Amino acid sequence: MTAISLQGISKRYPDHVAVDRLDLDVQAGEFMVLVGPSGCGKSTTLRMIAGLEDISEGRLLIGGRDVTHAEPHERDIAMVFQSYALYPHMTVYMNMAFGLLRASKLTRSEVDQRVNEAASRLQITELLQRRPNELSGGQRQRVAIGRALVRKPKVFLFDEPLSNLDAKLRTHMRGELERLHAELGITIVYVTHDQVEAMTLGTRIAVMDRGHLRQVGAPMEVYRRPANRFVASFIGSPEMNFLPVSEDMAEGRAWLNHHYGAASLQPGTVLGLRPEELLISSVEVAAPWSWPGVVQRVERLGAEAYAQIRVGTADVLVRTEADAALEASKPVFLTPELSRLRVFDGQTGATLATRE
Amino acid sequence: MIGTRFFFARSRWMHWLLLPAMLLWLSPLAWMLVTSFKTRAEIFDPAAGVLPQVLQWGNYPAALAVAPFGTYLINSLMVTGGILIAQLTTITLAAYAFARLRFPGRDLLFGLFLLQVMFPIYATFLTNFITVRELGLLNSLWALMVPFIASGYGTFMLRQAFRQVPQDLADAARLDGCGHWATLWHVYLPLVKPTLIAFGMISVVTHWNDYMWPLLVTNSESVRTLPIGLGLLAKADSGADWPRLMAATMVVIAPLMLLFLIFQRRFVDSFMHAGLK
Repeated sequence: MTAISLQGISKRYPDHVAVDRLDLDVQAGEFMVLVGPSGCGKSTTLRMIAGLEDISEGRLLIGGRDVTHAEPHERDIAMVFQSYALYPHMTVYMNMAFGLLRASKLTRSEVDQRVNEAASRLQITELLQRRPNELSGGQRQRVAIGRALVRKPKVFLFDEPLSNLDAKLRTHMRGELERLHAELGITIVYVTHDQVEAMTLGTRIAVMDRGHLRQVGAPMEVYRRPANRFVASFIGSPEMNFLPVSEDMAEGRAWLNHHYGAASLQPGTVLGLRPEELLISSVEVAAPWSWPGVVQRVERLGAEAYAQIRVGTADVLVRTEADAALEASKPVFLTPELSRLRVFDGQTGATLATRE
Repeated sequence: MIGTRFFFARSRWMHWLLLPAMLLWLSPLAWMLVTSFKTRAEIFDPAAGVLPQVLQWGNYPAALAVAPFGTYLINSLMVTGGILIAQLTTITLAAYAFARLRFPGRDLLFGLFLLQVMFPIYATFLTNFITVRELGLLNSLWALMVPFIASGYGTFMLRQAFRQVPQDLADAARLDGCGHWATLWHVYLPLVKPTLIAFGMISVVTHWNDYMWPLLVTNSESVRTLPIGLGLLAKADSGADWPRLMAATMVVIAPLMLLFLIFQRRFVDSFMHAGLK
């Protein structure tokens, strides 16, 4: 069942277009992550779903109902803000109960029951009588989630909820969010600029760039088969390597022509390979592809090492074993894992499809 | 241990610095109090010393008998209170509109509000007088209140305070089902309490002490306020009657002092709370 349906949604300002004709369906129970660099329109999209921004064009359906122009509290959604947006002058209890007391027809004891239930699930029962300024960042985060939980909405909206937490707490809260999602089977739309959060949390992720949706898919699918060069470079850390196809690689060009057709031989075509998809060897390997390079530096991280290798004018990052025998200025050859190779059109940046 | 001693040393040092300032500020008040208990002869007698020979308690009833101070007190309370309530209402609504709503001409309108703050109050007396007369309100308590029910200064102060409230809180309130009124009442007003109290104090002091305007628009005992009563004492035919004038002044400022003593704590408290966030 479709929980949210965005149909050709746009947000136009007098001087620019923040979101351009976005089409996206979020299934019930799904954890959909909107990810992209700042200014890509992901937060604007979330705020349009919430009803905090007017929708310039298009239709928005939540639970099958057209809510394009409905007030936020009529949309059956709850939102967790980046700043938590807890009311500083109210106790934790009131922060959680306020919306229910105002907008729902629940009796006081029903509200009380819901607040206590959410509080015990989030382990904040002993904080209910405190005020937000007496809480730590992680506790405030829980209260903000609790405020959303008590409403039992069709959809939860999260706007970069973990970005104010330190790294350790962020990992912990990521786990908790995952657990909540699994236990309650709730539908979540989650905005982040952090591709690690997107990869680890999302059932599917939607990558946005300059107001456009660039790709939607399961995290590993987006990682393995990015639809274009933007998605390829945005998802994955360290970033994907982009290697040019030079004129003198006759064997390689023949291979490309065979698998991807003449389009792949246009000047400007770029090959994409992640650091773990390249092999370092000290002798040239007989394969359609092999780039000669020189080791610049090696970062040994303990479990693995990253070698930075100069190929022509480009720097290529390759993942290798922690104790690989590599040192600076050593000449090496790079061979790609052919099944993972991606070919990007020089003009549009789109991923070229194989001919099979 | 060292920290504590250092703290005390530092706070004592501050006390020594602030003590003379405090004495300086208190001296007129003390002078007034002492004078209000003296006889008329004592005041101008250089040999009489600072303190009165005998406490002249009689100065107080005598001063209050010069004019109907009871009526004046009620009038002052009604006028000051009425202005305060009206101002808090108007500045809250105007400041919210200026801080959070978008409408054509908003900035121009706000500029005019600021312009109004820059005019000395006396510059508007004549036009205000004519307006009040045309409304047929001269010589009534309304005449004392009507020109002051809006405040450019208060609107400005509160607008700044409202703008400090994070937009996310207003958004959260919208999701919680609040419209503009509910957002204002449940979110904005509780968060700007310190500003409201500060403005309230300024307003009360200003209008409680106002002398010129009430003098201008009233001419009967029944609608006059306390400062005018003091004026009567100062202008007695035989020159000012200082002990009685001081006694009456003590009575007039007493409610203000009381108000300050009560709110001083709240005032400081609320600012400390704001600082902790």
